[in-house]
Amino acid sequence: MAAVEIRSVRKSFGRVDVIHGIDITVDDGEFAVLVGPSGCGKSTLLRMIAGLESVSDGEIAIGGKVVNDLPPRERDIAMVFQDYALYPHKTVAENIAFGLRMRGTPKPEMEKLVREASDILQIGHLLERKPGQLSGGQRQRVAMGRAIVRRPKVFLFDEPLSNLDAQLRAEMRIEIKKLHQRFGTTIVYVTHDQIEAMTLADRIAILKGGYLQQFASPNTCYARPVNRFVAGFIGSPPMNFAETDVDAGISRLSLGQGLSVPVSPEARQRLQPAAGRRVVLGLRPEHVKPGAGGPSSVPAGVELVEPLGSETLVLLRLGDALFTGRFPAEAGLKPGDTTPVDCAFANAHLFDPQSGQALTA
Amino acid sequence: MSAATLDKAPPKAKPRLSPLERSERRLGFILLAPAFLLLAVVVLYPIIELLTTSVRFYHLAQPWMGTPFIGLEHYARALSDERFWESTLNTVLYIVITVPGAVIVGLGLALLANQPFSIKWPVRLGLLLPWALPLVFAGLIFRWFFEYNQGLVNNALGFFGIGPIPWLTNPTFAFAATCIAIVWKTSSFVALVLLAGLQTIPKSLYEAAEIDGAGKWQQFVEITLPMLRPAIVVALIFRTITAIQTFDIPYAMTNGGPGHSTETLAMYIHKTTIDFLDLGYGSALAVLMFIVSVIATTGYLRHTRRDPRKA
Ligand SMILES: Nc1ncnc2c1ncn2[C@@H]1O[C@H](COP(=O)(O)OP(=O)(O)OP(=O)(O)O)[C@@H](O)[C@H]1O
Ligand SMILES: [Mg+2]
Repeated sequence: MAAVEIRSVRKSFGRVDVIHGIDITVDDGEFAVLVGPSGCGKSTLLRMIAGLESVSDGEIAIGGKVVNDLPPRERDIAMVFQDYALYPHKTVAENIAFGLRMRGTPKPEMEKLVREASDILQIGHLLERKPGQLSGGQRQRVAMGRAIVRRPKVFLFDEPLSNLDAQLRAEMRIEIKKLHQRFGTTIVYVTHDQIEAMTLADRIAILKGGYLQQFASPNTCYARPVNRFVAGFIGSPPMNFAETDVDAGISRLSLGQGLSVPVSPEARQRLQPAAGRRVVLGLRPEHVKPGAGGPSSVPAGVELVEPLGSETLVLLRLGDALFTGRFPAEAGLKPGDTTPVDCAFANAHLFDPQSGQALTA
Repeated sequence: MSAATLDKAPPKAKPRLSPLERSERRLGFILLAPAFLLLAVVVLYPIIELLTTSVRFYHLAQPWMGTPFIGLEHYARALSDERFWESTLNTVLYIVITVPGAVIVGLGLALLANQPFSIKWPVRLGLLLPWALPLVFAGLIFRWFFEYNQGLVNNALGFFGIGPIPWLTNPTFAFAATCIAIVWKTSSFVALVLLAGLQTIPKSLYEAAEIDGAGKWQQFVEITLPMLRPAIVVALIFRTITAIQTFDIPYAMTNGGPGHSTETLAMYIHKTTIDFLDLGYGSALAVLMFIVSVIATTGYLRHTRRDPRKA
């Protein structure tokens, strides 16, 4: 077991800079998830930890030991690839045993470990098959078996579930979480799916364009995003944003088209940093609710209704802004309706319109 | 009626084709017909001609004899013809030496060309060049290389105080020299086939193996070779077929000499028909050679049916 320290790490391919100085320390036994949009450098960072890419600048340490110049096989890591990278000409048992065999594990020991790993992943009945004869989910399990059989210091996952259907993905997510609880091994896990990130991670590292945006627990990222990008990336459906001018007294928020929304006294405290300036207001869908009809309610035009069974997502027009609200399942709304809406500004987030930095604490 | 007949249909009956499937199948046959016709004309017709000529007396130097049917007399003659056996043995030796030789050298070249060079075209060109060169031309170049007095090889060896070696006049050296020329000429095609095979192996397999602790040699043995097997079999088949027909290079370098020490079956057939004008006997020899090719290639094809990536 080991911590993974990434210190001021940079990466460039030729003249193209891909990672611009990232610092992340993944604690021993921690489950860290790297998320971010496509091309942000998640895989590159993970492959640098694995030793499959060189580090252009900075240091990577595993278990306190700088590994910049160590080849992958000496780093005592295991990696699960997006395409699984199973050896097509070897049986499942041979695939799982390969790493042990390369390290000269005696045969009886090897068989015992393969048996154990395949039992944990429930693939004992597939051991004699070739990867070509397995379903996607089974291949995924074999790939994980190959990783856990060696009991490495660190597991690295690169979008391991992205080739599975939604149901299987949910199943394997639970499986991976159980594996982590069982072995307690440090995990660095790459995904672009923020639900995977939220459900699996002890801490989430959000990357954008080769820069680290925030590295914090899922709840912190959700409740206290450091900037507009993180706020929009974490959470589903995503946070609503509207640019607005706030008066010095913070009595009303103007949302354009002559609509100005009254601010309740409780919310004023929260909106204090916005007093007398232009801000980007962020409001999560759960804080846009059906209006009780009191003075705080504003009329909103219904643009789109998405029933989800347990609840209904309603796209609402408020002045120039389009807000998604979480409504009860039987909201009984249809496009074209006008309905009163309550915006819980006490939960709002404020961002600087230029820099995107959070203004609320 | 259809339901009734279906019920009574014997269990072994083929599944019925839907009208759509049937029309698709018909279209398939129609589209294939021209290719089949062409094949029949250019392959089947010459083979039949060859077979019928081989059982007739047909000697251009003795036109007054006509072309009477003589049964298997030519085949009997071949079996007791020492020169036939010698050229057959030479051909077999060429196969046994130059086929594995070309595959091993070709594999080396393919691995080399598959390295991440920053400029790829000189490597690819270097691979293509020997292949694009006409065979006879290659033979002539090597004949000049192995020349006794001014040849490049003897000059180079002389530099180290070795030689001069009678490359083209000593039977063993002549055979070795022709083998070297053949391997040089044919390994580039093998390399191209294997390079294509190498490029289909996903990079992530090597990365996984590297993380699993495999060194470069283990990666080669555990991943490259097994994954390359189908391509190697294809290369072996092609190379064997061309080796059975070995002709141009020994023809240009030694013309089968000294004695008949580098004469192949194809050269003997050529001499029998073109120089000795004995079309009947030449055809019989050609039929024998054809039989050998068929046996050799079926042996390989058996192998290709097993794809290592599947079962
Ligand atoms: N070998 C390479 N040579 C040049 N550029 C590369 C190379 N590998 C990656 N890049 C570039 O580096 C950037 C980051 O790539 P990376 O694969 O890390 O993205 P990612 O975050 O994993 O994206 P995705 O979610 O699509 O997998 C991309 O802009 C990509 O084009
Ligand atoms: Mg990636």
